[in-house]
Amino acid sequence: MAAPARVGSRRGRIAFAAAVYAALIALTVVFLFPLVWIIGLSLKTRLQIFAMPPVLLWRPTLQNYAATLGSGDFLLCFWNSLVVASGAVVLSLCVGVPAAYAIARFPFRGRSLLFFGLLAMRMLPPIAVLVPMYILFSKLGLTTTRFSVVLAYTTFSLPLVVWIMRGFFEDLPRELEESAWVDGASRAAAFTHVVLPLIRPGLVAVCILSLQLAWNDFLFAAVLTNNATRTLPVLMAAFSGGDTGVDWGGMTASGVLVILPVIIFSFAAQRHLVAGLSSGAVKG
Amino acid sequence: MGGSSAAAPATATAPAARARPAARRLPPWLDLDRQFARLAVLPTTVLMLLVFGIPLLFSLYLSFEGWSADKPLFGGDFAGLDNYQDLLTDPAFVGSLGITFAYTAAAVAAELALGLGIALLLNIDLPAINLFRTALIIPMMITPVVAAFCWKLLLDPDHGIVDYLIGSHIIWLGRPDTALVSVAMVNLWQNAPYVAVLLLAGLRSLPSEPIEAAAIDGASRLQVFWHITLPLLRPYIVVALLLRTIFEFRAFDNIYVMTSGGPADATMVLSMFTYLASFVRFDLSLGAAASWMMLLMSMALCGFFIAVIRRREAL
Repeated sequence: MAAPARVGSRRGRIAFAAAVYAALIALTVVFLFPLVWIIGLSLKTRLQIFAMPPVLLWRPTLQNYAATLGSGDFLLCFWNSLVVASGAVVLSLCVGVPAAYAIARFPFRGRSLLFFGLLAMRMLPPIAVLVPMYILFSKLGLTTTRFSVVLAYTTFSLPLVVWIMRGFFEDLPRELEESAWVDGASRAAAFTHVVLPLIRPGLVAVCILSLQLAWNDFLFAAVLTNNATRTLPVLMAAFSGGDTGVDWGGMTASGVLVILPVIIFSFAAQRHLVAGLSSGAVKG
Repeated sequence: MGGSSAAAPATATAPAARARPAARRLPPWLDLDRQFARLAVLPTTVLMLLVFGIPLLFSLYLSFEGWSADKPLFGGDFAGLDNYQDLLTDPAFVGSLGITFAYTAAAVAAELALGLGIALLLNIDLPAINLFRTALIIPMMITPVVAAFCWKLLLDPDHGIVDYLIGSHIIWLGRPDTALVSVAMVNLWQNAPYVAVLLLAGLRSLPSEPIEAAAIDGASRLQVFWHITLPLLRPYIVVALLLRTIFEFRAFDNIYVMTSGGPADATMVLSMFTYLASFVRFDLSLGAAASWMMLLMSMALCGFFIAVIRRREAL
């Protein structure tokens, strides 16, 4: 829908545009100021951070970033985050993509039950799954391993993968596989050789979206990891336990380093953002 | 499984008799090709049971037991409804019910109102609008824990910029009367863009004819919005409402970082209560009961929304 930009006289239109820009600029300032301020803090020395009134012009320093990246703790957590997030994505893709294809293409008994189960997985509060999962995993000796976090992350990434990929498969014309079947290809061969190469864009989108969810998760990782296996959000939350302390420079630099990859991912997947956001919603 | 010739999509004119000759020779349950759909969903089904089905059933069992971590898995004593009774007589839990519903309702209402406003502004075709479309969605991309943590610094009463700018000394997160509102405002900052993105997508997909026709007929902007845009946008609003309600109902990360449920339980939402009961006080049976209460409430919420959507579609 094109917005109603052609209503009213010329002067009225200009006044309208000016009002819209003013509102947008005000909103942008409000929404981006916190982030800009935090980035500013991360580029200040400790004295500048706590100076009152705040220092507005200063020579930026990278000492906080150097200190953060120089500490083994941050790098270890970064590595853990990377491992569990990519592990969860790979597992959910390998498991979920064939299922999405089957749900999109073949009628089978239990299809709606499976679909309902996936929907419930996405909709129900994660803490409710985490309590029993923690007990079962600890009896199996899995807690504090990164594998347990990978498994836990499939509770949100698997439904996401199946939901979004099903849409991509449904949009693909049936004739392609059907002609492969007629030529004697098995369903599995048609799937891997004909269908998968065609939905590569969908795979990339779903990859980025589930990577982002896994990277941002805090709750599962907080319960299922220890100091050696914790992820970046757990490290960030540990900073804020009780008092915020005095190392604001180090904390803000860590925060910026945590969100930088997600923001890059998000812009890479911006085209697919809406599909990811509304995944799990009943088709409206 | 045969057929590597499938690499190239072939013509569809081959005789149907050639299709999958193997299907004749094998009994159906052994014919992997005919079982393809079932084999394809098998791993998903197994994983779902493993990380979702079995844990939930186990926690249902646990919620009727007196269980502690030193006992074997099924070694608890049957406790009947004791855990549920303990919950419903615990002022902290009853309080958290009220706080969760108030927080969810207020947060969702505010997100929808602000998100719709932003979406409407971003939908107006003006030069450089894409710049704003990009800038305004940045907050929703930030890792929630980091966002909450940054806001904790911004709201710090001694060194935070917020108190400096308004020239007062308010301990936002440390007072029972301001903590929940502060947490909700931070949440609004992060999630109004989420609603805006969803609704902007909706606005872009609406047909332009009714709006142009109304404009030609002399309808004002407000009339067009109220009588045409808003009714057309309703399906998208319902989806945004559903998703945000689900996500606010489970709110945890931001509250854990900013207040951990305090001060004086003022921000003790259900997720926080369940977390503290299960993983701080290690009363896992009580935690299981609390999580089943949460599950039932979320299911009721989902059921309600699905009923609303169905009814709309039937009309």
